Amino acid sequence: MAVADVRDMLDLPADGHPRPHKKQKVVEKRPEGITRELYALLGERAPPIAITENRYKGRPKWMSKVKVRSWQMTPFTNSARTDNLVLRHWQRQQDTVNNVPPPDGAEMDVDGKPEDEAVLTAEQEAYHFAKYNVRAQMPKRYTDEQYDRHLRSDEWTREETDYLMDLVEEFDLRWVVIADRYECQPQPSDTETGGAALVPAKQHRTMEQMKARYYAITASMLALEHPPSEMSETEFELHEKMVKFDPERERTRKELAALQLNRTADEVREEGILLEELKRIVANEQTFIAERKELYARLEVPISVGNTTMYQSSQGLSQLLQTLMQADKSKKRRSLLGTEGSGASPASQTPTQNILSGLRDSRADTPIGPTPTTATKRTAASNTHQTLKPLTPAEEVRYGVQHHDRLPSGVQFRNDRAQKLTQAKSNIQTQKLAAALAELEVPLRLVMPTERICKEFEKLIHSVNLFLDARKVAEKVESEIRVLEAAREERERKERESVQGMTKDIADVKLESEDRHIHVDGRSIGHAAESEALSDEIDDPGDSEDAPGEADADGENDVLSSTKDTPVREKEAFTTAHKRSASVHSIISNRSTKRQRK
Amino acid sequence: MNPSIPPSSAEYGGGTVLIRRDEVSAIVLDPGFSTTRAGFAGEDTPKSLIPTYYGQYSISSQQKHIFGDDIFVTPRPAFSVHNPISRDGVVEDWEMAEKVWEYSFTSRLTGTRSGNFVLNGLDDLHEDEPSREMEGVELEEKPLADSPLLMSECGWNPTKAREKTIEIAMESWGTPAFYLAKNGVLAAFAAGKASALVVDVGASNVSVTPVHDGMILKRGVQHSPLGGDYISSQIRALFKTNSPQPITITPHYLIASKAPVDAGQPPQVTYKAFPPDKTPDASYRTLLEERTLTEFKECVVQVWPGPNRLSATGPNGVANEELAKSSPGRPFEFPDGYNQVFGVDRYRVVESLFDTKAAILDPDSPFPAPVQAQAIPELIKSALNGVDVDIRPHLLANVVVTGASSLLYGFNDRLNQELIQNFPSPRVRISAPGNTAERRFGSWIGGSILASLGTFHQMWISKKEYEEHGVSIVEKRCK
Repeated sequence: MAVADVRDMLDLPADGHPRPHKKQKVVEKRPEGITRELYALLGERAPPIAITENRYKGRPKWMSKVKVRSWQMTPFTNSARTDNLVLRHWQRQQDTVNNVPPPDGAEMDVDGKPEDEAVLTAEQEAYHFAKYNVRAQMPKRYTDEQYDRHLRSDEWTREETDYLMDLVEEFDLRWVVIADRYECQPQPSDTETGGAALVPAKQHRTMEQMKARYYAITASMLALEHPPSEMSETEFELHEKMVKFDPERERTRKELAALQLNRTADEVREEGILLEELKRIVANEQTFIAERKELYARLEVPISVGNTTMYQSSQGLSQLLQTLMQADKSKKRRSLLGTEGSGASPASQTPTQNILSGLRDSRADTPIGPTPTTATKRTAASNTHQTLKPLTPAEEVRYGVQHHDRLPSGVQFRNDRAQKLTQAKSNIQTQKLAAALAELEVPLRLVMPTERICKEFEKLIHSVNLFLDARKVAEKVESEIRVLEAAREERERKERESVQGMTKDIADVKLESEDRHIHVDGRSIGHAAESEALSDEIDDPGDSEDAPGEADADGENDVLSSTKDTPVREKEAFTTAHKRSASVHSIISNRSTKRQRK
Repeated sequence: MNPSIPPSSAEYGGGTVLIRRDEVSAIVLDPGFSTTRAGFAGEDTPKSLIPTYYGQYSISSQQKHIFGDDIFVTPRPAFSVHNPISRDGVVEDWEMAEKVWEYSFTSRLTGTRSGNFVLNGLDDLHEDEPSREMEGVELEEKPLADSPLLMSECGWNPTKAREKTIEIAMESWGTPAFYLAKNGVLAAFAAGKASALVVDVGASNVSVTPVHDGMILKRGVQHSPLGGDYISSQIRALFKTNSPQPITITPHYLIASKAPVDAGQPPQVTYKAFPPDKTPDASYRTLLEERTLTEFKECVVQVWPGPNRLSATGPNGVANEELAKSSPGRPFEFPDGYNQVFGVDRYRVVESLFDTKAAILDPDSPFPAPVQAQAIPELIKSALNGVDVDIRPHLLANVVVTGASSLLYGFNDRLNQELIQNFPSPRVRISAPGNTAERRFGSWIGGSILASLGTFHQMWISKKEYEEHGVSIVEKRCK
């Protein structure tokens, strides 16, 4: 559908825009050297390879009209040289029509003078590169008298000093090269002095020694020229620097540099890691400081120092309310701006809720306010941390990094949490717990409540609780057993009395009672052993002696009473805070459960 | 920039822009142990490249010499090949060195003087007339009368040799100006650096030259003979113990015809027979064998690129040797048609440049078994220990690798690995031109740059100065 039809349908004026011209087909120009027929065979698509005639590019047409400028081999001398060496180079010949200055910038007049001479004289005036012939500025050399008076040294002979100064001048103060080339020949005068110098020790001078000597000389020469009081600022600075040169320090610096250079790969890697860590710590600290500042800003209570008389009237009060509202509004805007970046919506919501409720309410809310932000920030920090480097479990333990599904709001101490565990519902239970812990020599208040210790502590409390529960049940069962036993005894005694009274078949009864005896005996073995173990531990022999006293004369009862007594003793053992190992506890609890089963 | 626009005066003649050239048609001569390079300053490659070896034969009891590439193609009777330069890189035979060098520039650059009637024999008839003005003529006869000459030398060239060099240049060649530069410095210039640590792996020597501000630091200069010829000797040792059969290199001139054979099969070849009185000297054969070995080095030999030594285990616990074995081998066909695929052996022959314990021992080799101090990493270490500690990191950041033998495949990778291992803390940066010509002619190119600098022209030792001070001036001026 053409545009015109659409226009028709929509009743748009047709003359709104002139119809765009049909795109002109680009007719590619047929390159020369290809016949029309051959070119037609190629079709519309251009061949993938550009058809170009391989010929010399030549110079652009406009250039062919420019007159060829002639160049000439001309001799020149270099003013930086002292020996007038004449070398030859190509030089644009000056022509009057096209007044281009020669590359060397040497202006010369071509008015009939012989060419060579003209060039030569022009070059002599200024060889272009002569200006690059610069040398380091050297201080004035000392005279003999000056040397003798000021510059004498025990370390350096005059000859060696001269040699050093020559070398410094020769190499333009490139100390690296100077130290490299320093080869002071032992003086022939040494051999004259005597046999001591038969082997003229070729002194090896370090760069620091050379520098020290040179600076000392230069500084004193400078001071001789201008006394330090008359020196210009730069001169004085230079002088100070040279006077303060400390070869020893320089030497140690170089030693350190060598050490730094010869580090092992491990050390280098460690350094890199540490640097990165440091960077991270510094960055974290910055954010932490910023956070804390913000927190302080929130907690800060404006202290009123003004006179309150103006608020005593109702008008004043309403005015105050107005200003407070205003302040709150502005505060809200700021806090919104502040929390925009972190995107913590709960934090930003708190002030909005408080606009109308007034200052006091908002202050009451403040403790809640920052908590979510800190929590989010903590997660944000851990997020950034994770993007930095994934930690291995070992590292996580080392740095104390933990992942929580859900964090309780507010800050709490681990110690408090541990403390809470030791508080049972009832006071008695709490005391029992404390006693058990004291027996285990575990302090109620943990000395070092680290994460792991707290966990262990939690486990311990849990097991102690379990144990206490078990014991309670055991005791209950025990007392029931006792009651039942007592009831049975009573019944048996009655029976026996009736039997004795009736003098029935005695043999039968005896057999039966013996049977029972054996039965009871078997059960009592464990109790006996246990009571023994306990009586070993408990320094309370009177108690165990009491038991047979209580018992009846009958052998059966004797055994029974001893079993009767054991729970009591056990109880005593627990309540009296005697030293006892945990293993004993476990044995006891095992037994008590066994007994329970029975 | 549009090439049709002429450079403005400030650009060309120096001034603010970096191009500070002023060409005085100086000749740069860079004599090496294997080849001698010569060309005009300002060009990018030497025009004249000839072997430093020369051939010698006698015809009717007259000693004749052959220079240039012709020595490879003339198996004349009793034709022997010599080298005027010792294995140390210092000239031994000054007479022949002068001739070789002269040939290097007269053959292609300056041309021989046709008007030299004293030497060309046309003037022999007038020998009995000594009354000619010989002094005036003589100046014109010198081959270098109108070109300043910049020559290069190795960093450990003794004073005597330097003085002899300037004597030849001034007296025999009559150059108006002369300069003698260290080839380490020139190679640094070619890489565009004034301070660098130049590692030059040549034919006879490997040298490490610390350069500071365009001057070598003599105490740091180190060199060892583990160059291209040493690698050749290692390859020969390898061929002797080759596994299917020991390989003997038969140069092309000894072969009449050959037929293709399968890899590892003995060659089917008929040899050319030279009667005993017509055979060339053994040195000729060695020279041609050396050419085959050069080809072998170019096509087959490979440096184990690291990260560890070939004998050690790699970072993932696999022995490097195993890795090398698993990489596909490279075939090579010898002139007699024998061909073979070379596997891990192609790494072994050059491993001793870095780890001398890996050297293939051969009692017949002219090279004694290398010691670890001669290995390239050790050379670099001791070179650095010889210079001030302050510039060591800078030198390590500017390591320039030059010399034709450094073109061995993988050489730079390995060198880089070794340097990083030895010096983990400073940044190590190797600059080696990828262009073959730039690597081979590094020091010549540096000379070409130097001699065409406008600021250099004040450094030349002129004829006048030479006449004034004598040969000792070279020590004073060319530092």
